[in-house]
Amino acid sequence: MGFLAPWFLAGAAVIGLPLYLHLLRRHTTTPQPFSSLMFFEQRTQSSIRHRKLRYLLLLSMRLAVLMLLALAFANPYINRRTIAASGDKQLLLVVDNSFSMRAGTRLADAKREALAVLGARSGSERAQVAALGSQTQVLTQPIQDSAALRAAVDSIRPGDSRASFADLARAVRSLANSASARIELHFFSDMQKSAMPASFSELNLPPGVSLVLHPVVKSTQPNWAVESVRAPGRVWDTKKARVDAIVAGYETPAATRAVSLIINGKKVASQNVAVPAGGRASVEFQSLDVPYGFSRCEVRIDSADALPADDAYLFSVERSDPQPVLFVREPADTRSPLYFGSALGSAAESSFSFESLTVDRASHVSLSQYAFVVLSDVVSLPSEFENDLVRYVQGGGGILIAAGTSTGHRSNVPVFGGSVLGTRDYSRDAARFLTAGETDSSHPSMLNSEHWAGAKFYYAVAVDPSGSRVVARLTDETPLLLDRKIGEGHALLLASGLDGLTNDLSVQPIFVPFVKQTALYLSGTADRSGSRQVDDFLQLRTTREQAVSVEIVDPSGHRPLSLQEATTAESYQLTTSGFYDVRLANGRRDLVAVNADRRESNLEVTPDDVLALWRGNGSTEPEHAAAPGGDSEPAKPRSLWWYAMLLVLVAVIAESVVAGRYLATQREEP
Amino acid sequence: MQRFLDPSILAEISSLDLIAKTVVDGFVAGLHRSPDFGFSQEFAEYRAYSPGDDLRHVDWNVFARTERAYLKKYRGETNSLLTVLLDASNSMNYASHKVTKMDYARYVAASLFYLAIHNQRDAAGLIVFDDEVRNYIRPSTRQGQVNRLLHGLELAEPRARTDFAKPMTHFQEFLRRRGLVVVISDFYEAPEQIIRTIEPLRFRGNEVVLFHILDPREIRPDLDKPVILVDLETRDHIEVTPEYARDTYRGRMESHIGALRDKARSAGMDYHLLVTDRPLDSALREYLTIRQGRN
Repeated sequence: MGFLAPWFLAGAAVIGLPLYLHLLRRHTTTPQPFSSLMFFEQRTQSSIRHRKLRYLLLLSMRLAVLMLLALAFANPYINRRTIAASGDKQLLLVVDNSFSMRAGTRLADAKREALAVLGARSGSERAQVAALGSQTQVLTQPIQDSAALRAAVDSIRPGDSRASFADLARAVRSLANSASARIELHFFSDMQKSAMPASFSELNLPPGVSLVLHPVVKSTQPNWAVESVRAPGRVWDTKKARVDAIVAGYETPAATRAVSLIINGKKVASQNVAVPAGGRASVEFQSLDVPYGFSRCEVRIDSADALPADDAYLFSVERSDPQPVLFVREPADTRSPLYFGSALGSAAESSFSFESLTVDRASHVSLSQYAFVVLSDVVSLPSEFENDLVRYVQGGGGILIAAGTSTGHRSNVPVFGGSVLGTRDYSRDAARFLTAGETDSSHPSMLNSEHWAGAKFYYAVAVDPSGSRVVARLTDETPLLLDRKIGEGHALLLASGLDGLTNDLSVQPIFVPFVKQTALYLSGTADRSGSRQVDDFLQLRTTREQAVSVEIVDPSGHRPLSLQEATTAESYQLTTSGFYDVRLANGRRDLVAVNADRRESNLEVTPDDVLALWRGNGSTEPEHAAAPGGDSEPAKPRSLWWYAMLLVLVAVIAESVVAGRYLATQREEP
Repeated sequence: MQRFLDPSILAEISSLDLIAKTVVDGFVAGLHRSPDFGFSQEFAEYRAYSPGDDLRHVDWNVFARTERAYLKKYRGETNSLLTVLLDASNSMNYASHKVTKMDYARYVAASLFYLAIHNQRDAAGLIVFDDEVRNYIRPSTRQGQVNRLLHGLELAEPRARTDFAKPMTHFQEFLRRRGLVVVISDFYEAPEQIIRTIEPLRFRGNEVVLFHILDPREIRPDLDKPVILVDLETRDHIEVTPEYARDTYRGRMESHIGALRDKARSAGMDYHLLVTDRPLDSALREYLTIRQGRN
């Protein structure tokens, strides 16, 4: 029992008033003046005794009225467990069909238990079926039709999504808001630990929802999986391409696994790798001999474990002729193309050919044939060429601008547009150079580029960073690398040169990965290469590519988009693992490899105490709730306000009667 | 005319002068029908003329009929001296209805003054006392004496407590001439103490009358529940039950009244109990009776 407004209990203090009137003031009734008391004698004792006999009952009545009033306003309640009619309860059956449920017979066991719960319910009881993947998918409305409910359960197929119990709780909270009856939630799952949210509060279930857990496995099962694969999305020289794979073991003993590289269904390489107990091992395939065009590749292990679906990791590779890269320079600048071209060619899976032109010659070429353009510290640009460059970038192209000493004399950076605030000649300072201070490692150009701090910068151009994303700064906060989106393309500005004179970046180990990542980023290859996870969204078109049809063929060979969707959809969610054959709105064809989230490969089961806590978080006791179709209900606060007010009414009437009798008696006296 | 003597009606009249006039005129008008009382020059007897008698007293009508000279003797008129001793203690302020004991006492005193001065040509004076003498108006028949006395009555607001012993020594100084002394009080003292204190007034040949003013509720208290009573003089509190007031108190009050009456009369004083819901004529009648007796 509790009080919803306990502060009103302070009102009970007024019971002191009748106590004071009845007991403390019994000697101090209103005195009456009299001429002389010489003929009177004190008769106090008999008077008080007489009054006590009369007033105690009245006093108790008045105290009861005040106490009950205070009690009523404090709004008492009890957590009452009521037995409701079966029609007031609604079953919600949620079957986990996430990727981990593919292990063994988990999904089949879960569905069988769900069908058993449906069979045990009473005929008038309504039920609803849902499946839990990345989202909670409601399969039926609350209905009594057993056949429809069974069909819904049977229709649940294994998925590749990652389950989230927090999402389940959110969905149940939403359902409970619109439900007219209390909900008995039956959850059939392998209770994978990785599905638990970081904060337990996200699992909160609303009042009126009781949770019944049906774990289909009792203990953690060992599982090996190919956790990740690093492979180039596009290759030209197959001998330079490498494939790195990581094999992970979850709750596994130390073992040796055979790892195979399969291209277009044909095993081209195989290695044995020793995986430590519950650890990881990496495997490297030195070549990626793929034919021209898109190839469906996978790295597979022979795990012989309960979850074979994660034994293969899919990725796609496109072999094509190298794409040309235009490097625009001043005629006197011979160092910059040397450094940049060498770095670009050193990238292992580089599929770019390097073409260095002076400004006057570059003005006559067609920019559309180039994967991206590098503008290396040019003194001046012909306006027509600059306009061509701007249009090229706005149309989706990429450009890297190196701002050396020549750019320092300009008022603004060509194409990029940022005004030049000044120059920084650090070689004249005592320290003679500055290093990179902070870097934005989330930028594609900075991936695998952790060692920028080793590069020395002797000269930099200070550019107004407004409207740009600052990817790296020098230690004096001067922006070093800026990224600005212009139209559909990107312009990347390095506030120093590539000639090796204004900095020593060109001879630092960081330079090659920087050039490689920047080339992939500016050419748009980074977006297409590699693989994606289930439930990722694939962007189908840009804002300029409206009303152009796209085409998607999913791993099962079907076209999931209708004709209308094909012309309007901006993006598409990749819901199953496998290869998606995609033709984008810009006419480019792509092969997208989709893998399940590897957190699903960890089959560790949520501890029982955590599950018990979750059950307790729902408002029922497990032993009662375990019986489906039973008559128990979660404890609900039931207000006793009306009962208290009724008692007040009764007490007031009794007080009136008692007080009336006293008054009548007094009138009859002497 | 009886209604003009009803205290509750008199309470509606604010002027004490008018009250006294109303009472006395009403009272006198009632007396005309009575053979026992007479005023003015009253015939006593005839006496045969002897040389040296004043010829002005010869009844010439008798001489004409009988040719004998007889002198007409009248009962001698002697101006009396009326002194009212008015108790103005706090206990006189009690009332269970519209008229307090003090009001009633004022009416009685005012009526006596009016009757004495206007109708009897008596000198009248006033002594107001509680535990000491608060006001003294010398007895006189001068013009405006009635007004002075009535004004003295109006000023006599109850306060303090009654103490006969203390002011009584002063009464002796004021009452040099013999006359009629009227003591108006509620006499909340032991009867022996009262009589012992007032008795010396008799020694100078004064006629002493005790007008005992009591409220009807003082004689018969009417309590329906236990109450706390406050003494108007001492401010003492006492809780009283209806049973006690109904039985014991009434007995004590009646014995007090009886004892005071007996002791007063045994001491040669007249005693009259005046209840404040009764007419005032008994007091006036008492005065006239005593005055007639004195003549």
